Amino acid sequence: MNMDSELLQIIGVTLRMSFFSTVISCLIGMPLGVLIGKSVFKGKRTIKKLTGTLMGLPPVVAGLIVYMLFTKYGPFGSFGLLFTVEVMVIAQCMLIIPVVINLTESMTEINAKKLIETAKGLNFSKLKTSLLLLSENKQSLLSVVLTAFGRSIAEVGAVSLVGGNIQWKTRVMTTAIMLETNKGNFSFALALGIILLLISFVVNILASALVREDEE
Amino acid sequence: MIKILNLKKQYGERTVLNIPELTVNKGETVVVVGPNGSGKSTLLRILAGILSKTDGEVLADGEIYYMPQQSIPFSKSVKENILFSAKDSKEIEKRCDDILSELSLSHLANKKAKKLSGGECQRLALGRIIINQCDFLLLDEPTSAMDIEGTEIIESVIKKYKQETGCGILMTTHSPKQAKNLADRVIMLHEGQIAEQGSPDELLSNPQTNWGKKFIDMWKIDT
Ligand SMILES: Nc1ncnc2c1ncn2[C@@H]1O[C@H](COP(=O)(O)OP(=O)(O)OP(=O)(O)O)[C@@H](O)[C@H]1O
Ligand SMILES: [Mg+2]
Repeated sequence: MNMDSELLQIIGVTLRMSFFSTVISCLIGMPLGVLIGKSVFKGKRTIKKLTGTLMGLPPVVAGLIVYMLFTKYGPFGSFGLLFTVEVMVIAQCMLIIPVVINLTESMTEINAKKLIETAKGLNFSKLKTSLLLLSENKQSLLSVVLTAFGRSIAEVGAVSLVGGNIQWKTRVMTTAIMLETNKGNFSFALALGIILLLISFVVNILASALVREDEE
Repeated sequence: MIKILNLKKQYGERTVLNIPELTVNKGETVVVVGPNGSGKSTLLRILAGILSKTDGEVLADGEIYYMPQQSIPFSKSVKENILFSAKDSKEIEKRCDDILSELSLSHLANKKAKKLSGGECQRLALGRIIINQCDFLLLDEPTSAMDIEGTEIIESVIKKYKQETGCGILMTTHSPKQAKNLADRVIMLHEGQIAEQGSPDELLSNPQTNWGKKFIDMWKIDT
């Protein structure tokens, strides 16, 4: 009984964290990606290399940086956010935003130029063009969102560092799996892993139903 | 009118367009011809505000619509594509149906535009433009993907639209026949410069430059 309610609570924290990490990363990363992708300027290649490099940032390093920023005597220590879900989301955004920027940017580069030329030729407003750009790219934008979500829900290094894996508070699926494995409860750890996969599966199904193109 | 003065476009050191003066009046059709890479699309794109110019002036009094060489269909049905492109919604259904039938696209009205053939797609692209009233029309090779019948359809639709709206048209083509059929004036571009210009008959029968003669000889084989 207690076990079940704890499991539900862990799933809840996991979903809440992944949801906010994904949404915030996409809100920041997608507009930046589109902006970089469709404009031409010096230093664009450098930015590409930078986001590419940051995509490979080890989660524990991101965790360490955020930890140092939010520790009691760190620059943001006064917020008292260390070992909360909020700071886990912040650490994850550091990992996910470069991924979102990079993917959105490549997608925009391939696709957007000709579409913008077509829209400009029809004298569409900036707003109408932007909305068109989004709706014409919803499939690829969705896969960016799903990649962000996948990275967030599967991540363990950063969230265990800054979240502390505190029972009833910051414990998520991945850190719970780590703990159970360390305790030798392999079958329980495996069950948690399967639940994690199921969640991912359901999210993917829901998401693709959302943007399905009807065939004709 | 659209007026161009000392227009230059450079990529690095290379000048791809250099036009001292060019005017397109309302009610006039100017057809730009010239080999691949001679700067036809570059000219239209600058006028449409897609490309920046390196130097010079472009003046236009009126609204310009532009159909790119590769116009992208939106992920909607054929009919929705046209409706979505219309600025003014007055009697929109009827205008749209008329355009579909003029372009013989009526039977495809509910088909997804992404699934059209190249020629059908190009007819749709013209439909999206002419649902609007405009002062100037820029068309980049509007019949490049067309069979003979499709070409006739497009040419007659362009003529009718010009008659009804009194707009000025600047378009490009690789077809001498089309230049003869539509143009009040033909401009021949060679490496970004105007090599020849004049009425289609003048130009075809009496080119002034050596290069112009060669180009027209090749054309004559084609007609
Ligand atoms: N982004 C660019 N950078 C460098 N050169 C370019 C660029 N875009 C076009 N050019 C060059 O400008 C020249 C003119 O190109 P443009 O597309 O205007 O030719 P065109 O007359 O329309 O040819 P076509 O008949 O093949 O459509 C070409 O030599 C092309 O290679
Ligand atoms: Mg061209």
